[in-house]
This record gives sequence, C-alpha cells and structure tokens, in this order.
Amino acid sequence: MFKISNSSIISIVVKLLIILAITKAISLAVWWYLPDEGIEIQEDTNFNPAYQRVDFKNMLRAKPVKNSSQTTVKQGNSTNITNMLLKGLYGNKSTGFVIVALKSNRKKTSIIAVGEIYSGYKLKSILSDGAIFTKAGKEFLLKIILPKTGHNIRSSITPVEDSSAPRSVARQDIKYYEKNPDQIWKDISIMELKNGNKLSGFKVTNVRRGSKMDRLGLKRGDVIIRANNVALTSYKSAFDLYKNINKLTTIEIVVMRNNEEKELVYEIH
Amino acid sequence: MVKILKFLAYTLFFILALMYFMPKKNVYYLLEKELQANNIVISHEEVVDTGLSLKLNHLDIYMESIESAHVASVDISLFGLYNAVNMKDIKLTSVASSILPVKINDVSIRYSILNPLNVTLNAVGGFGSVSGYANVLDRNMTLILKPSKIMKRKYRSTLNGLRKKSNGEYEYVQNF
Repeated sequence: MFKISNSSIISIVVKLLIILAITKAISLAVWWYLPDEGIEIQEDTNFNPAYQRVDFKNMLRAKPVKNSSQTTVKQGNSTNITNMLLKGLYGNKSTGFVIVALKSNRKKTSIIAVGEIYSGYKLKSILSDGAIFTKAGKEFLLKIILPKTGHNIRSSITPVEDSSAPRSVARQDIKYYEKNPDQIWKDISIMELKNGNKLSGFKVTNVRRGSKMDRLGLKRGDVIIRANNVALTSYKSAFDLYKNINKLTTIEIVVMRNNEEKELVYEIH
Repeated sequence: MVKILKFLAYTLFFILALMYFMPKKNVYYLLEKELQANNIVISHEEVVDTGLSLKLNHLDIYMESIESAHVASVDISLFGLYNAVNMKDIKLTSVASSILPVKINDVSIRYSILNPLNVTLNAVGGFGSVSGYANVLDRNMTLILKPSKIMKRKYRSTLNGLRKKSNGEYEYVQNF
C-alpha cells in the first residue's frame, strides 16, 4: 500500500514551505528596519521675487498727500479705470502704496495707499505686476506701465550710460539664449566663488566684447552676489532664477565691483 | 551528486523566494535616503514591485536641488550573481544642452559574477553611443564615446575635453 506521508514529493514540498516561511520571516525582519516612505523634493514653484522697481523721481515730484480723516484722495468720480496709469508700486498684498496718474496728465502722479480711493476706485491690494482696485463691488486690475526705451525695437538691449538707471532688455534676447544655451558660455564666462566650503557668489571671468552680455553692463571681475533679493549662495538659487526668468518683468542684480556693492536693474519687455 | 544538486536547487529556491518576499520598495526608500546624503534626490516617481525586480516610472532626478533629468522608466533587477539597472527615455535638463544633446534613449548598467571586478555601462542617445566600465578595485571609470553627427557638429567643445583615439572614438577616464 502507498503511504502518502512517505512520499518524497511531500518531503520536498514541506522543505520548500519551510524555506518560504524562513524567507518570509527574514523579509519581515528586514522590512521592520527599513523606511516606509521615500524622499520627495520640496519645490518652490512660486518664485516671486520680492522686488519691484519704484520710480522715486515721480514720488518726489508728486504733491504730498494730505491725511484727511477719511484717508481718501479724490480726483473726481467720473474717471474710467482705462484712463488710469500705474507707474509704480511698493508693498505686498495688504500693505504698501502705488503711484498712479491719469493718461490725460501723465506727469501729475498721486501716491495711493491700500484702502485709499483714487478717482472713485479703492485700492484693494498690490500684486507683483499690478494693483487691484474696486468700485461698486467690482474688481479692476491695473497693470504697471514699464517705461518705453524710445529706441529702435531691434536694438533689444539698450545700453544705458547711467549705470544706476534700469536697463531695458528684450524678452526675445532671453528666448534667444534659451534656445541657444551654448551661446551664453561663448558670450560670458562665470565661475563659482567660494568662501571656505561655502558658495559666496559667481565671478564674471570674461565678457565677450560687443555681445549681448557685454551690453548688460557686467564687467570682468564682477562677483554676482544677489539676484532679486535672493542671495546666490547655492546653485539652486541661481537655477531657480534661470528657470523662472520668463515670468519676470524686472531683474535686479547686485554685484561686488571694486569692493563695493553695485546694483544693476533690468526691465524686461 | 544528487545531494549537491538538491542543495543547489534548494539554495536557488531560497534566493528566489527571498527576492520575491523582500520589501523592495522599502529597500529603494533606503537607497533614496543614502542618495539624499549625497545631494541627489529622486522625486515624483511611481514605484512598482514586479515580483523579482523593481520598476520606477516617470522619475525626476535632482542634483544639489536642481532638476537635472527626467527618466521615463527604470528597471532594477538585483539577483546577486547578476544585477542590472536599465533606464529608458532620459531627458536631461535644458541647462545641459550646452554640453551635450539632452535626449538619451537607453542606459544599462550591469554587474555579473562572471566579471566580478567591473561594472559595465552602455548608453545610446543623441550624443551617439557610450560603452565603458568602472573597475571597483582600481576605483576608476573608463568610457568610450562613439559620437553622433550632431555631437561632432554642435558639441565640439565637449569633445575637445575628451581624449581622441585613432579610430575616431573619444575616451573619458575618471577616478572615484
């Protein structure tokens, strides 16, 4: 009579089951000591530079605003928002002020704080590139007007003699460098500058004469230390600016030149 | 003889069972932590345990917190005696486009007990094809590049940084 308990198949199956049990026990023991979650990068998707250029000359020329009890500045109520110009802004969503003028009299500017009324429109909040006004329960967005260069449009980067004045940069030039990144390194040479083990900025080692980069005002020996109020102490901060350059309308670069900080401002059109 | 064969068969079964039950996802998470210590982060990936191997889909590789590459899929097969990592459809960040074409079709890294001192690497992409090895004893890596036409035409400055061989290939040697 054939006894199944004596069968070699049962023996093999039992041995295999024992192996399975041992391997499962080992894997459970390993699992106990291993991490349950992976690493995910925390991306800063909203690269919004804390910088907005304000035309201080207009501020100085403007008549001082009287602090009335109603904290309003009135210039009549018949003005349409399309007749208004936003010439400068400073602050964030709930605090700060804007500089506005009417198209009919561009030189006559007024400074309006958040909460104040201009031509019947109440300033509700300030954005990075505009301001929101309200009137009769409706919201109106007024975008900032960037100064015109007055030069031939083909001259995409306008050289400015006054180094402190903003320089005009054409967006098409930025797109050109985006499409031809190798051209960047032909026009400019930059190397990292370290203070001990820590990155302290990026040194301009060469600028090709006559190139678009040359017209930006950067000089050999400049050390770029900040861009849009972000300290360039890591490659990440530099690449964040590079990645988000299409979203920017203004770039402010601070360089160390002859042991002095120098600010270079570019307005992108 | 039969006993030896039985022993080998049980050992093989043990290895395969261990491979199957091993918490591969968790081992991968441990690897991610080790990579993070070297400022390399793999993010946004879908991790799939396929039984004997691990598959990663749609992963982004960040180096020094900078997005460096997107990889469509990675197959990791670790059997001890034969280990392979295959990557498909890699797109490097646009910043790298000044150095080499950003599209890499296929990268395979293999380590076999038959060649215990070397980890071999093969890659095909817009740059042409690369084959090479890393010697674990001498701690150096040698890569041989057969450049594509576009590499020869547009990325001459990169090729100038490599040693040109008499047969038109380029060699890159690096210690690690």
